[in-house]
Amino acid sequence: MIAFASDAELLALARAGDDRAFGVLVDRYETAVAATVIGMLGRGDEAEDVGQETFIRFHRALHNFRGDSSLKTYLVHIAMNLSINALRRRRRALLRFVDEDDAVDVAPEPRVGPAGEVDAKELQAVVQDAVARLGAKHRAVVVLRLFHEYSTRETAQILGVPEGTVLSRLSRAMKELETQLAPYVQAGAALPETIR
Amino acid sequence: MTDPHPRFTSDDFGSDHPSAAIAALSALVRDGSPHGFDPGFRQRVLSSVKSHRDATIGAALERHFVRIVPLAAAATLLLAGYNWWGGRTTSETTLDAALNLPRVTLAAAYEPAQLFGATIAASENP
Repeated sequence: MIAFASDAELLALARAGDDRAFGVLVDRYETAVAATVIGMLGRGDEAEDVGQETFIRFHRALHNFRGDSSLKTYLVHIAMNLSINALRRRRRALLRFVDEDDAVDVAPEPRVGPAGEVDAKELQAVVQDAVARLGAKHRAVVVLRLFHEYSTRETAQILGVPEGTVLSRLSRAMKELETQLAPYVQAGAALPETIR
Repeated sequence: MTDPHPRFTSDDFGSDHPSAAIAALSALVRDGSPHGFDPGFRQRVLSSVKSHRDATIGAALERHFVRIVPLAAAATLLLAGYNWWGGRTTSETTLDAALNLPRVTLAAAYEPAQLFGATIAASENP
Protein backbone atom coordinates (compact mmCIF):
# COMPACT_ATOMS: atom_id res chain seq x y z
CA MET A 1 0.00 0.00 0.00
CA ILE A 2 1.58 3.25 -1.15
CA ALA A 3 0.28 5.24 1.84
CA PHE A 4 2.47 3.17 4.18
CA ALA A 5 5.61 3.28 2.03
CA SER A 6 8.74 4.86 3.48
CA ASP A 7 9.90 8.31 2.44
CA ALA A 8 12.77 6.76 0.46
CA GLU A 9 10.39 4.50 -1.49
CA LEU A 10 8.01 7.37 -2.17
CA LEU A 11 10.88 9.58 -3.30
CA ALA A 12 12.07 6.91 -5.73
CA LEU A 13 8.56 6.56 -7.17
CA ALA A 14 8.09 10.34 -7.37
CA ARG A 15 11.42 10.69 -9.18
CA ALA A 16 10.15 8.15 -11.72
CA GLY A 17 7.13 10.41 -12.34
CA ASP A 18 4.55 8.82 -10.01
CA ASP A 19 2.27 11.70 -8.95
CA ARG A 20 0.40 9.49 -6.46
CA ALA A 21 3.61 8.93 -4.51
CA PHE A 22 4.32 12.65 -4.55
CA GLY A 23 0.76 13.24 -3.31
CA VAL A 24 1.37 10.96 -0.33
CA LEU A 25 4.49 12.98 0.52
CA VAL A 26 2.41 16.16 0.32
CA ASP A 27 -0.13 14.67 2.73
CA ARG A 28 2.61 13.49 5.06
CA TYR A 29 4.37 16.85 5.33
CA GLU A 30 1.48 19.28 4.89
CA THR A 31 1.26 19.85 8.66
CA ALA A 32 4.97 20.67 8.99
CA VAL A 33 4.87 23.10 6.07
CA ALA A 34 1.59 24.64 7.27
CA ALA A 35 2.98 25.18 10.78
CA THR A 36 5.96 27.00 9.30
CA VAL A 37 4.16 29.06 6.70
CA ILE A 38 1.02 29.96 8.66
CA GLY A 39 3.15 30.55 11.75
CA MET A 40 5.22 33.06 9.80
CA LEU A 41 2.58 34.68 7.58
CA GLY A 42 -0.76 34.01 9.29
CA ARG A 43 -3.67 32.29 7.59
CA GLY A 44 -4.70 33.45 4.13
CA ASP A 45 -4.05 33.22 0.40
CA GLU A 46 -0.42 34.26 0.75
CA ALA A 47 0.28 31.38 3.16
CA GLU A 48 -1.51 28.93 0.84
CA ASP A 49 0.56 30.18 -2.13
CA VAL A 50 3.82 29.85 -0.23
CA GLY A 51 2.79 26.37 0.94
CA GLN A 52 2.15 25.30 -2.65
CA GLU A 53 5.36 26.93 -3.85
CA THR A 54 7.27 24.95 -1.21
CA PHE A 55 6.05 21.65 -2.67
CA ILE A 56 6.49 22.82 -6.28
CA ARG A 57 10.14 23.68 -5.55
CA PHE A 58 10.55 20.34 -3.82
CA HIS A 59 9.10 18.57 -6.88
CA ARG A 60 11.49 20.47 -9.13
CA ALA A 61 14.43 19.49 -6.92
CA LEU A 62 13.45 15.84 -6.42
CA HIS A 63 16.53 14.62 -8.25
CA ASN A 64 18.81 16.91 -6.24
CA PHE A 65 17.57 15.82 -2.80
CA ARG A 66 20.40 13.71 -1.40
CA GLY A 67 18.94 13.04 2.03
CA ASP A 68 21.65 14.85 4.01
CA SER A 69 18.88 16.12 6.28
CA SER A 70 15.46 14.60 6.95
CA LEU A 71 12.76 15.36 4.41
CA LYS A 72 10.83 17.31 7.03
CA THR A 73 13.83 19.54 7.77
CA TYR A 74 14.43 20.03 4.04
CA LEU A 75 10.83 21.11 3.47
CA VAL A 76 10.71 23.31 6.57
CA HIS A 77 13.91 24.97 5.36
CA ILE A 78 12.35 25.77 1.97
CA ALA A 79 9.11 26.93 3.61
CA MET A 80 10.97 29.17 6.04
CA ASN A 81 13.05 30.81 3.29
CA LEU A 82 9.99 31.40 1.13
CA SER A 83 8.07 32.81 4.11
CA ILE A 84 10.88 35.22 4.95
CA ASN A 85 10.95 36.35 1.29
CA ALA A 86 7.17 36.84 1.39
CA LEU A 87 7.48 38.91 4.56
CA ARG A 88 10.11 41.09 2.88
CA ARG A 89 7.81 41.61 -0.12
CA ARG A 90 4.91 42.39 2.18
CA ARG A 91 7.05 44.82 4.13
CA ARG A 92 8.14 46.64 0.98
CA ALA A 93 4.57 46.75 -0.30
CA LEU A 94 2.97 48.06 2.85
CA LEU A 95 5.80 50.39 3.86
CA ARG A 96 4.60 49.91 7.39
CA PHE A 97 1.15 51.46 7.64
CA VAL A 98 1.07 50.06 11.15
CA ASP A 99 3.68 51.00 13.69
CA GLU A 100 5.43 47.87 14.93
CA ASP A 101 5.91 49.44 18.34
CA ASP A 102 2.18 49.76 18.97
CA ALA A 103 1.18 48.69 22.45
CA VAL A 104 0.64 44.94 22.63
CA ASP A 105 -2.90 43.89 23.48
CA VAL A 106 -3.11 41.21 26.08
CA ALA A 107 -5.33 38.23 25.20
CA PRO A 108 -8.82 38.31 26.72
CA GLU A 109 -9.82 35.94 29.49
CA PRO A 110 -10.15 32.42 28.06
CA ARG A 111 -13.49 30.66 27.89
CA VAL A 112 -13.00 27.66 30.11
CA GLY A 113 -15.34 24.64 29.92
CA PRO A 114 -16.92 22.79 32.84
CA ALA A 115 -13.96 20.39 33.08
CA GLY A 116 -11.53 23.29 32.92
CA GLU A 117 -10.72 22.71 29.20
CA VAL A 118 -9.99 25.48 26.72
CA ASP A 119 -11.67 25.52 23.29
CA ALA A 120 -9.14 24.14 20.78
CA LYS A 121 -10.00 26.55 17.96
CA GLU A 122 -9.94 29.52 20.29
CA LEU A 123 -6.57 28.44 21.60
CA GLN A 124 -5.14 28.02 18.09
CA ALA A 125 -6.41 31.45 17.06
CA VAL A 126 -5.03 33.12 20.19
CA VAL A 127 -1.63 31.43 19.92
CA GLN A 128 -1.30 32.20 16.21
CA ASP A 129 -2.34 35.78 16.86
CA ALA A 130 0.23 36.10 19.64
CA VAL A 131 2.97 34.60 17.44
CA ALA A 132 1.97 36.91 14.57
CA ARG A 133 2.54 39.91 16.83
CA LEU A 134 6.19 38.99 17.28
CA GLY A 135 8.82 40.48 15.01
CA ALA A 136 9.72 38.28 12.02
CA LYS A 137 13.07 37.16 13.46
CA HIS A 138 11.57 36.17 16.81
CA ARG A 139 8.64 34.52 15.06
CA ALA A 140 10.95 32.35 12.97
CA VAL A 141 12.68 31.09 16.11
CA VAL A 142 9.36 30.35 17.84
CA VAL A 143 8.04 28.48 14.78
CA LEU A 144 11.13 26.27 14.52
CA ARG A 145 11.88 25.84 18.21
CA LEU A 146 8.36 25.52 19.65
CA PHE A 147 6.08 24.47 16.77
CA HIS A 148 8.56 21.96 15.32
CA GLU A 149 10.63 21.33 18.44
CA TYR A 150 13.92 21.60 16.60
CA SER A 151 16.99 21.89 18.79
CA THR A 152 18.77 25.21 19.16
CA ARG A 153 21.52 23.95 16.84
CA GLU A 154 19.06 22.81 14.13
CA THR A 155 17.18 26.10 14.40
CA ALA A 156 20.46 28.00 14.03
CA GLN A 157 21.38 25.93 10.96
CA ILE A 158 18.05 26.47 9.26
CA LEU A 159 18.08 30.21 9.91
CA GLY A 160 21.81 30.59 9.25
CA VAL A 161 22.50 32.42 12.53
CA PRO A 162 24.69 31.55 15.54
CA GLU A 163 23.17 29.47 18.34
CA GLY A 164 23.55 32.37 20.77
CA THR A 165 21.34 34.50 18.54
CA VAL A 166 18.68 31.79 18.56
CA LEU A 167 18.77 31.66 22.37
CA SER A 168 18.51 35.40 22.83
CA ARG A 169 15.69 35.72 20.30
CA LEU A 170 13.83 32.84 21.90
CA SER A 171 14.19 34.30 25.36
CA ARG A 172 12.80 37.63 24.23
CA ALA A 173 9.99 35.99 22.26
CA MET A 174 8.99 33.90 25.26
CA LYS A 175 8.74 36.99 27.44
CA GLU A 176 6.39 38.59 24.91
CA LEU A 177 4.35 35.42 24.54
CA GLU A 178 4.15 35.02 28.30
CA THR A 179 2.64 38.47 28.59
CA GLN A 180 0.09 37.83 25.87
CA LEU A 181 -0.86 34.29 26.80
CA ALA A 182 -0.77 34.51 30.59
CA PRO A 183 -4.50 33.71 31.06
CA TYR A 184 -4.23 30.65 28.82
CA VAL A 185 -1.09 29.34 30.49
CA GLN A 186 -2.99 29.34 33.78
CA ALA A 187 -5.97 27.52 32.24
CA GLY A 188 -3.74 25.24 30.16
CA ALA A 189 -3.58 22.48 32.76
CA ALA A 190 -6.75 20.98 31.27
CA LEU A 191 -6.13 21.27 27.53
CA PRO A 192 -8.42 18.85 25.65
CA GLU A 193 -6.95 15.63 24.25
CA THR A 194 -7.99 16.61 20.73
CA ILE A 195 -5.26 19.22 20.51
CA ARG A 196 -2.55 17.30 22.38
CA MET B 1 21.72 8.74 20.88
CA THR B 2 20.47 12.29 20.39
CA ASP B 3 16.90 13.02 21.39
CA PRO B 4 15.05 13.85 18.14
CA HIS B 5 12.59 16.03 20.06
CA PRO B 6 14.69 17.92 22.57
CA ARG B 7 12.72 19.50 25.40
CA PHE B 8 13.43 22.91 26.79
CA THR B 9 15.48 23.97 29.75
CA SER B 10 15.49 27.28 31.54
CA ASP B 11 18.91 27.90 29.91
CA ASP B 12 17.13 28.24 26.58
CA PHE B 13 15.03 31.14 27.80
CA GLY B 14 17.15 32.90 30.38
CA SER B 15 17.36 32.32 34.10
CA ASP B 16 14.32 34.45 34.93
CA HIS B 17 11.97 31.79 33.48
CA PRO B 18 11.22 28.93 35.87
CA SER B 19 11.13 25.57 34.09
CA ALA B 20 7.46 24.86 34.94
CA ALA B 21 6.37 28.12 33.34
CA ILE B 22 8.54 27.37 30.29
CA ALA B 23 7.04 23.92 29.92
CA ALA B 24 3.48 25.24 30.23
CA LEU B 25 4.06 28.06 27.76
CA SER B 26 5.92 25.79 25.33
CA ALA B 27 3.13 23.22 25.45
CA LEU B 28 0.54 25.94 24.91
CA VAL B 29 2.33 27.38 21.89
CA ARG B 30 2.97 23.91 20.44
CA ASP B 31 -0.69 22.90 20.88
CA GLY B 32 -1.78 26.13 19.25
CA SER B 33 0.37 25.63 16.14
CA PRO B 34 -1.44 25.46 12.78
CA HIS B 35 -2.33 21.89 11.78
CA GLY B 36 -2.80 22.25 8.03
CA PHE B 37 -4.03 24.26 5.10
CA ASP B 38 -7.64 24.37 3.94
CA PRO B 39 -9.06 21.00 2.77
CA GLY B 40 -7.98 19.90 -0.72
CA PHE B 41 -4.41 21.17 -0.40
CA ARG B 42 -2.94 17.99 -1.93
CA GLN B 43 -5.07 18.32 -5.07
CA ARG B 44 -4.19 21.97 -5.44
CA VAL B 45 -0.48 21.17 -5.15
CA LEU B 46 -0.69 18.33 -7.68
CA SER B 47 -2.53 20.47 -10.23
CA SER B 48 0.02 23.27 -9.74
CA VAL B 49 2.85 20.78 -10.25
CA LYS B 50 1.17 19.45 -13.41
CA SER B 51 0.60 22.89 -14.91
CA HIS B 52 4.15 23.87 -14.02
CA ARG B 53 5.45 20.69 -15.68
CA ASP B 54 3.35 21.33 -18.83
CA ALA B 55 4.65 24.88 -18.99
CA THR B 56 8.21 23.59 -18.61
CA ILE B 57 7.78 21.06 -21.43
CA GLY B 58 6.24 23.74 -23.67
CA ALA B 59 9.08 26.13 -22.94
CA ALA B 60 11.67 23.43 -23.65
CA LEU B 61 10.05 22.55 -26.98
CA GLU B 62 9.90 26.22 -27.92
CA ARG B 63 13.56 26.64 -27.02
CA HIS B 64 14.58 23.65 -29.18
CA PHE B 65 12.34 24.78 -32.04
CA VAL B 66 13.86 28.25 -32.09
CA ARG B 67 17.34 26.70 -32.11
CA ILE B 68 16.63 24.18 -34.86
CA VAL B 69 14.62 26.30 -37.32
CA PRO B 70 17.53 28.53 -38.57
CA LEU B 71 19.76 25.45 -39.05
CA ALA B 72 17.03 23.62 -40.95
CA ALA B 73 16.36 26.67 -43.13
CA ALA B 74 20.07 27.06 -43.94
CA ALA B 75 20.40 23.35 -44.80
CA THR B 76 17.32 23.54 -47.07
CA LEU B 77 18.71 26.57 -48.92
CA LEU B 78 22.10 24.89 -49.40
CA LEU B 79 20.50 21.72 -50.76
CA ALA B 80 18.20 23.69 -53.05
CA GLY B 81 21.16 25.70 -54.38
CA TYR B 82 23.18 22.57 -54.98
CA ASN B 83 20.26 20.92 -56.81
CA TRP B 84 19.60 23.99 -58.90
CA TRP B 85 23.27 24.26 -59.91
CA GLY B 86 23.36 20.61 -61.00
CA GLY B 87 20.02 20.59 -62.82
CA ARG B 88 19.75 24.11 -64.19
CA THR B 89 20.27 22.90 -67.81
CA THR B 90 18.19 19.73 -67.70
CA SER B 91 15.18 20.77 -65.59
CA GLU B 92 12.13 22.49 -66.98
CA THR B 93 11.72 25.16 -64.33
CA THR B 94 13.84 26.67 -61.59
CA LEU B 95 11.64 25.00 -58.98
CA ASP B 96 12.14 21.61 -60.63
CA ALA B 97 15.87 22.21 -60.61
CA ALA B 98 15.88 23.23 -56.95
CA LEU B 99 13.90 20.13 -56.04
CA ASN B 100 16.10 17.95 -58.27
CA LEU B 101 13.12 16.78 -60.36
CA PRO B 102 14.17 15.39 -63.79
CA ARG B 103 12.35 16.44 -66.92
CA VAL B 104 9.49 13.97 -67.51
CA THR B 105 8.36 13.09 -71.05
CA LEU B 106 6.11 10.28 -72.24
CA ALA B 107 9.04 8.48 -73.88
CA ALA B 108 11.27 8.85 -70.85
CA ALA B 109 8.50 7.54 -68.57
CA TYR B 110 8.32 4.25 -70.53
CA GLU B 111 12.05 3.69 -70.79
CA PRO B 112 13.00 0.33 -69.18
CA ALA B 113 15.51 2.06 -66.95
CA GLN B 114 12.69 4.20 -65.52
CA LEU B 115 10.33 1.22 -65.18
CA PHE B 116 12.63 -1.48 -63.73
CA GLY B 117 15.71 0.37 -62.66
CA ALA B 118 19.00 1.06 -64.34
CA THR B 119 20.67 -2.24 -63.33
CA ILE B 120 18.06 -4.49 -64.93
CA ALA B 121 17.90 -2.34 -68.03
CA ALA B 122 21.68 -2.43 -68.42
CA SER B 123 21.84 -6.26 -68.13
CA GLU B 124 19.12 -6.73 -70.78
CA ASN B 125 20.76 -4.31 -73.26
CA PRO B 126 24.50 -4.98 -73.24
